[in-house]
Amino acid sequence: MSEVQRRKYSQEEKNGIFDGEFMPHIDSMYNFAYRLTFDEDDAKDLVQDTYLKAYRFINSFEKGTNAKAWLFRILKNSFINEYRRKSKQPAKVDYQEVETYYNSDDVDYQSTSDMRADSVKDMLGDEISNALNSLAVDFRTVIILCDLEGFTYEEMSKILDIPIGTVRSRLHRARNLLKEKLQGYAKNMGYNTDEEE
Amino acid sequence: MDMNEESSEARKLKCGDTSKCFELLESILDGEVDNSKEMLKEKLAKCQPCFEHFHLEQAIRDVLKNKCTKQAVPNELADSIRRQIQEIK
Repeated sequence: MSEVQRRKYSQEEKNGIFDGEFMPHIDSMYNFAYRLTFDEDDAKDLVQDTYLKAYRFINSFEKGTNAKAWLFRILKNSFINEYRRKSKQPAKVDYQEVETYYNSDDVDYQSTSDMRADSVKDMLGDEISNALNSLAVDFRTVIILCDLEGFTYEEMSKILDIPIGTVRSRLHRARNLLKEKLQGYAKNMGYNTDEEE
Repeated sequence: MDMNEESSEARKLKCGDTSKCFELLESILDGEVDNSKEMLKEKLAKCQPCFEHFHLEQAIRDVLKNKCTKQAVPNELADSIRRQIQEIK
């Protein structure tokens, strides 16, 4: 919330922006919050807090610009600053996984090269969802933003406060990790992989 | 984007730089590379690992979009937000 508050909307304008530009994103916001917290009540609180903050700082939002990205940025920051702290599981496990993958160049595709497009297509929603949910939060986030919500790299860069190059490489790592998880499911379910042939 | 009709006969079986190529293919799938159609067509026609990676990535994106169902938003959430906004107005 570092933007300079350079305008002052009337009450009517505020209501118009809130109802017309902010509230239509509540489904995506809740889905993002739920995939971050894995808890319905926490997700509700997170979305509610985000909308209250959005209203409070509405003068720093430029009418007609990318409201969805603006809201997602607030939600992501609220999650990091408030909800992640009180999370039962310490975040350092996530960072360890991030560090390991960021510091090794040779993990690419060695363990996923036998994964097949057909076996992915046959998978159930639960398997895909579980694989996504099992990723460390930083990796999960980029996949949600890109693949589920359709944000561009530039938008993701602004939401996450990281350079576009980091968005690209983090996505690449995240997808490798997701493929590993999916491959595990594929093997367990007896789906077709090259190793079995 | 259907690239399935490309023949695999002329494709090389090893990719010279999977890391670079795969990251590029992913950026293309994400719609982040301008005028990528011809480049993609050529790449997929010539390199088997790139061809397979592209289709695997495309399949994963499709299942993420189609099967990661949206969490149902609790009915009272929007009302609760509006109520709280009224209180701070």
